[in-house]
Amino acid sequence: MITGANGSGKSTLLRCLAGLLAPDAGTIDHLEGGSVLSTAERRARIGFVAPDLAFYDELSAGENLEFFAKLRGLPSVRAGELLERVGLPADRAAGALSSGMRQRLRWAWALLARPRALLLDEPFQNLDVEGEDTVRSLLGEHLESGGLAILASPIALEVSGAVSHLNLGR
Amino acid sequence: MTRTISLGLRAALWLVMSLCIWGAFFYAWSDPAFIGQSSRILFFHVPMAWTSFVAYFAAAIWSARYLWGGRQMRHDRAAAAAVECGVLFGVLATITGSLWARIEWGAFWNWDPRQTSIVVVLLFYGAYLALRSAMADAEIRARISSVYALIALVVTPFFYFIVPRITDSLHPQPVINADRKIDVDPRMFHVLIASALTYTVLFFWIHNLRTRTQALVDAREDDPS
Amino acid sequence: MPSPTSTWVASAQAVFTKDWRCELRSRYALNAIGLFAVTTLVVTSAALGPAGTNKSLAINVLPAMLWLILLFAAAAGLPRAFVHEEESHTAIALRLASPPSALFVGKLVFGVTLLLAIEALIAPLYLAVMSLEVNSPGLLVVALVSGGYGLAAGSVLIAALASQARGRSTLFSVLAFPVLMPLLLLAIELTRNAVAGDVAGPALPQLLLYDGSVTIAGLMLFPAVWNP
Repeated sequence: MITGANGSGKSTLLRCLAGLLAPDAGTIDHLEGGSVLSTAERRARIGFVAPDLAFYDELSAGENLEFFAKLRGLPSVRAGELLERVGLPADRAAGALSSGMRQRLRWAWALLARPRALLLDEPFQNLDVEGEDTVRSLLGEHLESGGLAILASPIALEVSGAVSHLNLGR
Repeated sequence: MTRTISLGLRAALWLVMSLCIWGAFFYAWSDPAFIGQSSRILFFHVPMAWTSFVAYFAAAIWSARYLWGGRQMRHDRAAAAAVECGVLFGVLATITGSLWARIEWGAFWNWDPRQTSIVVVLLFYGAYLALRSAMADAEIRARISSVYALIALVVTPFFYFIVPRITDSLHPQPVINADRKIDVDPRMFHVLIASALTYTVLFFWIHNLRTRTQALVDAREDDPS
Repeated sequence: MPSPTSTWVASAQAVFTKDWRCELRSRYALNAIGLFAVTTLVVTSAALGPAGTNKSLAINVLPAMLWLILLFAAAAGLPRAFVHEEESHTAIALRLASPPSALFVGKLVFGVTLLLAIEALIAPLYLAVMSLEVNSPGLLVVALVSGGYGLAAGSVLIAALASQARGRSTLFSVLAFPVLMPLLLLAIELTRNAVAGDVAGPALPQLLLYDGSVTIAGLMLFPAVWNP
């Protein structure tokens, strides 16, 4: 869990971890089996949820997920399963989704490749009660199966499991 | 100690440069094939054009070193400074060239193959500088402009094949080839070679100054205190 | 477990299919390029009349004009390949999910097919409107395909660069025109030879060399453009 004031660099840190930004100084070493992973390998092992993550408005929710499944060489049934889990209609155009539904789509997208680590930037925003329950149970399953999750939020959130806190100053 | 050496080198550069300029006017012949004394401008024009190409090539090397040599900002600064110097020498070469063209061919601009090539190359590196100014983030700027400098290196050689063929069709009259004359006269050749080398050294000196001042500017931006 | 090569091909194919599907639903680039081309065609035709009946105009002016129309049509539609990904923030998801070289190839094939489709529409119209008689139609097709490939490949690569900077569309033209200039000169020369009924000459191998160089440069440099 990473907390910190607005502008303290939570999102930037997550983006660096995801390999979307190069850190100004220092390096990020993701170790697995004693060797440092390349950015590409690191990306293949993470799921990323962030407020500015967007999908193709012209495509339906299902087509969006199927596209990304194909990009990563995954079977497209995986896309259908996840959509069902987060409770999204597959044939609705992504451009016509409400903000809460978009957040559900982001979660489904992040979990596509069964990542080892989840990087979550304000993961519960815009979700209704039912949506937050669904997403929390997905997160619970991920943690139970030995996955890691890094959460960033301006305020401390209630999450179950072993939690360590990191507060970024200004 | 390094200060003395550096002072000595600068004095040597000044001396050799003066010698080259003196040689251009008093040592080399004025080629009678050209109008009046106009051939003497070649001793300035040709080395400048040569140096601008050295600068562009150096910029490409520094760009490649930035991309595949650990992404160090000093390589990007060196590449950018080399392009700036290249554009400076390129503009000077264009001006001296068109002064000569005015005297020899009667017009400042004739779309002679060489004139065409140098303008296209200037467009390329002008675009490079415009690209740099359109990016605020130093890391992105370094990456993207390095790629553009390398694309320039891949594309510009095509002009050497194409341009003479196409402009010849527009200008059927034979154009006097400066290089052919230079081979004839050894004195002209001496001055030309000496000037080319000296201007190249001048480029590396200006480049060194520019890179160092830019490093100071960058360091101050990172840490305003 | 699929092999890495087949996954790579599937990724490139996925990008290509996705781009065409989005394009056919929004018709943004097709409309922009198509309308642009038709407008310029009307203007040039109104200004020049059936210029193809004049032998000197037919060889000296009309091939150059055809390629200028194609250049500006490409500049109107192709930059969107990358600019739209950045503007609509879909680039983040794309960056995380796809190998850069597969993405580049997918976008490249999309750009090439889009431009060839536009050429198939414009070139016959242009010939008809200008009453331009082509003595070697086969060579004209070769010129359009090899020139169109280079035009699309260069534009897609430069679009990737421009999408990372401010003032993307203006910058695209500034960056792309020097890069595309040798290609245009070669394509014009080849088209001229086709109109006159000459042999292809050195322009064809040089054009193919340009196409190959830009493709290889793109494959080598694109990962550095796309990823930090």
